[in-house]
Amino acid sequence: METMNKTAPILEAVNLSKKYEDGMLALNNVSFEVKPGEIFSMLGGNGAGKTTTINIFLNLLEPTSGEAKINGIVTHESPLEAKKNVAFLSENVMLYPEFTALQNIDFFVKLGGKLNYTKSDYQKVLKRVGLQTEAHEKKLKGFSKGMRQKCGIAIAILKDAPAILLDEPTSGLDPKAGHEFVKLLADLRDEGKAILMSTHDIFRAKEISDYVGIMNKGSLVMKKSRAELQGENLEQLYVQFMAGYMDTVA
Amino acid sequence: MLKLLIEKELKEIIGSPKFIMMFAISSILILLTFYVGGINYKKNIAQHEAAKLENLRSMEGIKDWRLIEHNIYLPPSILASLVNGISNDIGRNVDMYGRGEIRPHGSVYNENPVYAAFRFLDLTFLFQIVLSLFSILFTYNAVNGEKESGTLRLVFSNSIPRGKYILGKILGSYAALSIPLIIPFLLGCLVLSVLGIQLKGSEWFRLALIINAGILFMGVFITLSVFISSVSRRSANSFLLLLVIWIFVILVIPRAAVLISGRFIDVPPIDELNNKKNAYNRELAETVLNKLKTFKADGNEDLFAQFEKYMEEVNDDKDEKMNSFGSKLDEERKNRQNVQSDLSLTLARISPAAQFSLASSIIAGTSLTLSQEFLSQAKNYQNVFKTFQQEKSGGSSGGGMKMIMVNEGDEPPDIDPTELPEFVYKEANLDSIIVASLGDFGLLIIYTFIFFAGAYMAFRRFDLR
Repeated sequence: METMNKTAPILEAVNLSKKYEDGMLALNNVSFEVKPGEIFSMLGGNGAGKTTTINIFLNLLEPTSGEAKINGIVTHESPLEAKKNVAFLSENVMLYPEFTALQNIDFFVKLGGKLNYTKSDYQKVLKRVGLQTEAHEKKLKGFSKGMRQKCGIAIAILKDAPAILLDEPTSGLDPKAGHEFVKLLADLRDEGKAILMSTHDIFRAKEISDYVGIMNKGSLVMKKSRAELQGENLEQLYVQFMAGYMDTVA
Repeated sequence: MLKLLIEKELKEIIGSPKFIMMFAISSILILLTFYVGGINYKKNIAQHEAAKLENLRSMEGIKDWRLIEHNIYLPPSILASLVNGISNDIGRNVDMYGRGEIRPHGSVYNENPVYAAFRFLDLTFLFQIVLSLFSILFTYNAVNGEKESGTLRLVFSNSIPRGKYILGKILGSYAALSIPLIIPFLLGCLVLSVLGIQLKGSEWFRLALIINAGILFMGVFITLSVFISSVSRRSANSFLLLLVIWIFVILVIPRAAVLISGRFIDVPPIDELNNKKNAYNRELAETVLNKLKTFKADGNEDLFAQFEKYMEEVNDDKDEKMNSFGSKLDEERKNRQNVQSDLSLTLARISPAAQFSLASSIIAGTSLTLSQEFLSQAKNYQNVFKTFQQEKSGGSSGGGMKMIMVNEGDEPPDIDPTELPEFVYKEANLDSIIVASLGDFGLLIIYTFIFFAGAYMAFRRFDLR
């Protein structure tokens, strides 16, 4: 499903590096771009730099050098403006436990600058992400991880930003929930969203992504398109890169 | 945006189970404070009226105003029942003679020592101990708790300025924690009405000022907690740190201030002063007796009139000397006491708890000046009483022997005790109360701003990941 996308990238990492005060190099000259209607998955072990990359896009961290751009806006220069163009879903969606699903969604969607939605709009999206109607008015404290994840994706959908950042979104989901999630991602991609996803899930990454990158020790050591991955054993590639047998960016 | 953040904070606190607990506890304590305060006030009013009546009754059958030695009393006040201050510690009665030294006696705690052991429940205790702790309990994890729970990252994936977020946290917490105060306070006012206690307009205003001071005090703890929560990475650490600060602010600093000032400024004990005065008084009494021996009547005039005039002069002379001696001792002690008191208040004011306590007691009229004010008004009344006695009988009571000549068959009628000038204790006026409490209000506001600024600065550097 690779497309020849000539449009400008929505998400762009330009020579992105991050060195912490203790000298640890978390990101080393990482560059990539994600255009509208594309999903870019970053694979890598713990500490590979996936979450650091997302944190820089969210301006939760400032890069030591290089730039992260959302819709052309450099995130560390104009963070508030840049974040208007991005929705975020973390590995373990944590919402306010004493709020109901609808109250949480109402708060976060309004926080994202969308003030005109009605309760029925929220309910429609919650149905779309597969959260049972009877759970809409229930407090989050009784929700499973999958149910919280559905609320999170509902918030991201309702924010209707051109870019979506996903940090390990399928981690800990049961196979059915994982499958539903991937279907939703495909729909969002088809709606023209630029999606950057960090994940450990090689199979889902291969299934859904237009591009897959492998990160190791802060560097993007491989980036291949869907077409390039056809006939390749991604798992084997991943193991080889992680073990350091291969160290070139394809 | 700010409204949204405030609303969220408000809803989150109100929706939490601990809020229901706080609401229940603060409602019970506030209503109990108003009820106990109201009941005590009514009981004190009844006792005060009975004492005044008994005072008049004790004068029945007396035929000369010079023989009158009565009592004046510090009247109870509803605000003093709600904010005790020093009102239960000081002497509330004064034995009133037309001359001589005035010494208030009969404090509530002196008469009922068991109350001194446990003290009454009042608004100062409620705000200082209970509501400050509640403020900490609800806000110790305002920022780091959100990081621990993971919501902070999601919040800041949106275009939220950090300053607005902190302001929203503080204002939302402020609004949420004011609810369990304002509702029970309004009900408390209703309790006073049900008990049949009518407050004057100025008393309502002062009560509102006290509650405002309390809410400001709570604001100091809310901003402090948000500040500590922005500095500390873990909520458990911020809770521990806030608890230590609470102990210092509420318990250590005010007490340490008094101890330090007492160590640096020496004030002679009151007993030492009284012993000196008593010794001098005895000396003067001796002189009076000696003068009595030297009394010689002029044969041409009425003997009793001459004696009375002589005694009046002798007593006036004694009074003048005693007053001059006593005043000098009192003034020296008072000056040292003022220096000590100023130092201890200055040091104590480092603590917002002391600022609130002083502000509320000033507004309630139960501050440290109550004792001096009562004494000063009692002295003024003594002059009124003395003039009254002189107008009625040509002399004053107290200070020694009286010789009253009554011719047979010409017995004077009983005095009319209702003619006695009434002692009316005048509370400070509203303007002076506001001016006197302004400094402490200002300090509470300054502390709130300092902690808010601290929270803002700390949160600018806070790791949101």
